Amino acid sequence: LSAAWLGGIGLGVYLALLVVVAEVARRARRDATPADHFLAGRGLGVFVLFLTLYATAYSGNSLLGYPGEAYRRGFSWIMATGFMMSIVVAFHAVVPRLRPIAVAQGFVTPGDWIRHRFGERGAGPTLRVAAAVLMSVALANFLLAQLMAMGHVASQVTAGAVPYEAGVVGLAAVVLFYETLGGMRAVAWTDAAQGVLMLFGLGTLLVWLLGEAGGLTETTRQISAVAPAAVAVPDARECANWASTILLLGLASVVYPQAIQRIYAARSGRALKRALALMTFMPLTTTLVVTLIGLAAIPRLSGLEGVEADTVMPRVLQDWAAAGPGTALLAMLVLLGALAAIMSTADSVLLSLGSILAEDVLGRGRRDPSTTRLGKRIAAGVMALAVVLALGRELTLWRLIELKMELLIQCVPAFFVGLHWSRLRAGPTLAGLAVGAAVAVAGVLLDRPRLGGVHVGVWSLGLNLAIAVAGSRLPLRSLESAPAAP
Amino acid sequence: MREPGAEPTRTRRRVRGALLVAIGALYAISIPWYRETGAAPDTWLGLPEWVTVAVVCYAAVAVLNSLAWLLAEVSDAPGDDRGGGGP
Repeated sequence: LSAAWLGGIGLGVYLALLVVVAEVARRARRDATPADHFLAGRGLGVFVLFLTLYATAYSGNSLLGYPGEAYRRGFSWIMATGFMMSIVVAFHAVVPRLRPIAVAQGFVTPGDWIRHRFGERGAGPTLRVAAAVLMSVALANFLLAQLMAMGHVASQVTAGAVPYEAGVVGLAAVVLFYETLGGMRAVAWTDAAQGVLMLFGLGTLLVWLLGEAGGLTETTRQISAVAPAAVAVPDARECANWASTILLLGLASVVYPQAIQRIYAARSGRALKRALALMTFMPLTTTLVVTLIGLAAIPRLSGLEGVEADTVMPRVLQDWAAAGPGTALLAMLVLLGALAAIMSTADSVLLSLGSILAEDVLGRGRRDPSTTRLGKRIAAGVMALAVVLALGRELTLWRLIELKMELLIQCVPAFFVGLHWSRLRAGPTLAGLAVGAAVAVAGVLLDRPRLGGVHVGVWSLGLNLAIAVAGSRLPLRSLESAPAAP
Repeated sequence: MREPGAEPTRTRRRVRGALLVAIGALYAISIPWYRETGAAPDTWLGLPEWVTVAVVCYAAVAVLNSLAWLLAEVSDAPGDDRGGGGP
């Protein structure tokens, strides 16, 4: 069998399985309420919750973008292991307080917290819509990155028989199909299978790569010979960027809509904390592994620059597949694992987007079955738009992640501070969010992603927090309602 | 009179707090801001030494953070969280 046939058969079998899972999930549904569709009836146990958190967090960006970034930046990209872990650390500030309130109030979307915390009067509703719009823009950006990654991998898995454009359109249609049919249950179950496939594939690939190069020490020596800067101790600017990225990812991920919805979807608080206790180890088995794969590619592949470096992983896999029939099969499995990870992130993003736009932006009721129908239609519309944008490829996958996080991080005061400080008020929080988002967007438009190595989004979060906190301390209570009690 | 179970809960909170502080310290050590910039490093365990330090720090963060989660109180009933300062 040729690589194209082998890949095509593998892809076909995998997509058929997804359709079966979607049908099983559809039959398992209890009713047509948003809680059942978007949160799987709040019944996710430890194992499925852990794997769905894992497959959602480790996306196409992790599998294609991170090796590409390690290839571009060298060993300092070890920071990725730290910032992916910081996400699970940052959840300590949110989960223990948000979970009991979410269960008692029946939250479905992140905006439900804002409604509960800041009330329905004064600046509260505007804050809820503003945060939802910001989250939606960030999620749409994330969806775009997944679709681009899907196109690259589908083309690679079938040795070019399926072109990039066909991969984007076809796989987007499959994701939309099973997400619409099976909701969070289909998403979580496919995530579980996808997570296992990804773990196995990456581990096997790393062992082969290091074996080929003669071990880790020899790989480091080879990198040092061809790119001494990749091995040298980073300068102060890169260290500042390292700390800034840990802050950016850790804090922004606290308000990751699909992660917040998994806090709501857990069967119990006990299941949730156990799943998070397991999740904290995953950067060592995934991010560290893909970073080493990107680094090992430095002496193997030369001259890849800009967006092209995002193809490091597929190129390495191509070499692996050429090493023999056994490795061709394994390489195909890794690519399918990568595709699975990308699709699992795309489906979670799409599910969150549908619910946020229907409920938080358009104001539909969280117990109304028509909200579920509207959420599905919105998801279809957003997917169609994202497909059109994904057909043009200009930004690197890592830059897309940074843009998403720089917007998301502006929602931190409403959640992080709102959960811990009773005096935080809606008006100043809204003003801080607006100013922070404007500064972050200005950084993008002026092509100044960092100042002194620190992300513009992190600087603007400082400004955002200062406005929210200082404004809340001012005696202006007559301008808006007092915060609602939980 | 002290509430039954209050002392173990307080101890768990203190231990969890100490673990989170230790995690913060490990993050600070993981970034090589205190090293000479541009220096060609020795190799430890197959990696440049400053990279090995970072990996060891992150492995320790994983262990401490996992323990911190197991000690966390994530209740399903409002009011069970006695952390104080809620909205």
